[in-house]
Amino acid sequence: MRRLPRLFSLRAVITVAFLTFTAWSSQAQSAAQIPPEWNKALDSLADKIATAAKPARTFSLNVKNISSLSGTDVASLREELVSDLAARKFRITEKPPSDGQLQISFSESAEDYVWVAEIRRGDAHEVVMVSTARDVVRKPSAAGPSITLQRKAVWEQAGKILDFGLVSDAGMEGGSILVILEPDKLSFHQYRSGEWQLTRAVAIARARPVQRDARGRIDPPAGKAEMPDAECSGNFQHPETVTCSSAAAVQEVGFVTKPISIQGHTVDSYVDLGAACGIGPLTLITGPGDWTEPDFVQAVRLKNQADAASEKLQFPGPILALWASEDGKSARVVSRNLQTGAYEASIVAVSCGD
Amino acid sequence: MKLRLLLCLAVISVALAAVAAPLRPARRPRYGGTLRVEIGAIVRSLDPSVAAANPEEADAKDELDALLYDRRGESGTFVGAAGSGPFRLSAWEAGKSAVFAANEDYRAGRPFVDSVEIQMGRSTHDRLLDLELNKADFARIPAELARQAADRGVRVSASQPDELLALVFLAGRTATENARVREAIARCIDRVAIVNFILQKEGEPAGGLLPQWSSGTAFLFPTETDARAAKEIWSQISPSPKLVLGYDSADTLQQSVAERIVVNAKEAGISLVSRAMPNSSAASAHTGSEAPRSDTIHVDARLIRLRMPSPTARISLAAFVDTLGPMAGIEADPLPENASPEDIYNWERGIINSGRVAPLVWLPQVYGLSARVRDWKQPAAGESWPLAYVWLDSTTETH
Repeated sequence: MRRLPRLFSLRAVITVAFLTFTAWSSQAQSAAQIPPEWNKALDSLADKIATAAKPARTFSLNVKNISSLSGTDVASLREELVSDLAARKFRITEKPPSDGQLQISFSESAEDYVWVAEIRRGDAHEVVMVSTARDVVRKPSAAGPSITLQRKAVWEQAGKILDFGLVSDAGMEGGSILVILEPDKLSFHQYRSGEWQLTRAVAIARARPVQRDARGRIDPPAGKAEMPDAECSGNFQHPETVTCSSAAAVQEVGFVTKPISIQGHTVDSYVDLGAACGIGPLTLITGPGDWTEPDFVQAVRLKNQADAASEKLQFPGPILALWASEDGKSARVVSRNLQTGAYEASIVAVSCGD
Repeated sequence: MKLRLLLCLAVISVALAAVAAPLRPARRPRYGGTLRVEIGAIVRSLDPSVAAANPEEADAKDELDALLYDRRGESGTFVGAAGSGPFRLSAWEAGKSAVFAANEDYRAGRPFVDSVEIQMGRSTHDRLLDLELNKADFARIPAELARQAADRGVRVSASQPDELLALVFLAGRTATENARVREAIARCIDRVAIVNFILQKEGEPAGGLLPQWSSGTAFLFPTETDARAAKEIWSQISPSPKLVLGYDSADTLQQSVAERIVVNAKEAGISLVSRAMPNSSAASAHTGSEAPRSDTIHVDARLIRLRMPSPTARISLAAFVDTLGPMAGIEADPLPENASPEDIYNWERGIINSGRVAPLVWLPQVYGLSARVRDWKQPAAGESWPLAYVWLDSTTETH
């Protein structure tokens, strides 16, 4: 590969909220839902506008969105910006006369949101802007049907993830250990001081290089991580007990599901869950695309003809692994974000909507 | 009789079901097969230490070496042993063909395809024809022919626009040292017409040095033509100079664009003629290579292609200025590594306002693919062809 810029560095992402699908009122779409990072950026933009616009005090405002932000987001951002400007004694007027025109463009670069203010007063034209990271975890705004799928992002990293799991931390009451299975290692992270910290990584030695479409699965209660050509075992609550070894022969059984046909499409990645919300049993399926396309998870009932039981939960890239969790109501999902290139581990759970 | 009727109905319903619900390609990659690649360049050597004769060869060689080598050094050149990459060279006929076999021991896993066959020196026409006839799996297509290829049934994959075609006013030329002359020419160019008619809408008008998807601020650089203003400015220049616009003789797109600019200039009363420059001195200047020379033939301005070395705005802008600086006499302080989008915009604005370079259009990288190619993902700016990830759908026939 040619020089690749910094795309991401290893970092843990603990989401602050589940992605819920409960209905939100239009009032609830107000600026109060803007992530703090956005509020901070808007505040900074208002400061810059105030400095550049003086001595003008009254502006007509035009807002355009040339980014991936939703219309709802932009409406909230506009509302918040007007409020920020009002706090700085600037007034936005719908009708002329005004001291000048303020054009706000919500744009984005390859890495950030870029919010641009163009201030026109007579022949004078000034441009100020701010930027803020694009990968802010948001609450969704869509109302859901009776069964909804919730996604909880657990972890993301640059390197490939095969599977992951969470076990309680024997050394700390109420603590958790995050186990990440990668093609060449099994790593354990403990939650300390508000972030996941790597406590141990067990290398998986092999006689041959790992396969390009490497697969693997973690069974935390059993203390096992299995791959077609290797295995790790021990007590995952005590990472120091875990060891890994290569298998004598490649064993593919158990890693590939038998394709099923749903509404004319072949689905080769799915998991069976238990009954939920009075409906069931349910099956979670993924989309038909290849690994270059965005994907989705959807709950279906396979009884009789396959009926969709939930909306599609969209992912910004292919789902590479889908495993049922022990509770029978959720699944572990490993996906790749095509925008950032990062591998993402998340839990998709079934819940009953309003 | 009843049984036969039932049997007949069953056969018909199965056939109808097959038509109504065509088999979707499996998403799980498959190993095996040979990927047939055609390139236009003639690569004489794969040795990274041997210099390429022209940018086209340099580009192709870079892509082929990326199959053989696992990594690059800090300077961007390949390091380590040939064969440490996803493929190993199994056959080589300099300037004609090459076969790369999958490296079973590659650290990131064996590629899905067994081998990659490269045919060199294939003309654009031949590449398109072979894609059409399913005799090739992968070939580059000029952006201006993308629509035509798609119309002919070729599966086309286009990247985000990451190659800038720009007009550069060369430093040290008396005529173009006059900022009003540069402004008049820059204003008369109809970029939309270049995109619509020459590029067949496969591109975007460019007003800045970075595309919108990379910087997020390209919309702040206008791309509209203003022939009236150009005419007025030109009328105020006395004596009005006669200018020569150079283009790479081997680049048909540059030639078409240069001729179009001459027409635009004529409409504004500007005296401008286009002139082909020899490939060796005027070939497209790709970032990181030596700045092309324009002193072998007299031109006042010239067209140049600039490929982004990275999706990151700061890196690409700095690389562009490295290339343009000596040609156009642009001087700019280095951009700090932590430059904000506003810093980058202001830096870019300063260069555009100097009038030494007039961005024209953004071009995507366009590839033709056969129906059996799966998991092809357009490389981002600066990345090599990710052929190790590609797999071939065995259910699709080849000829």
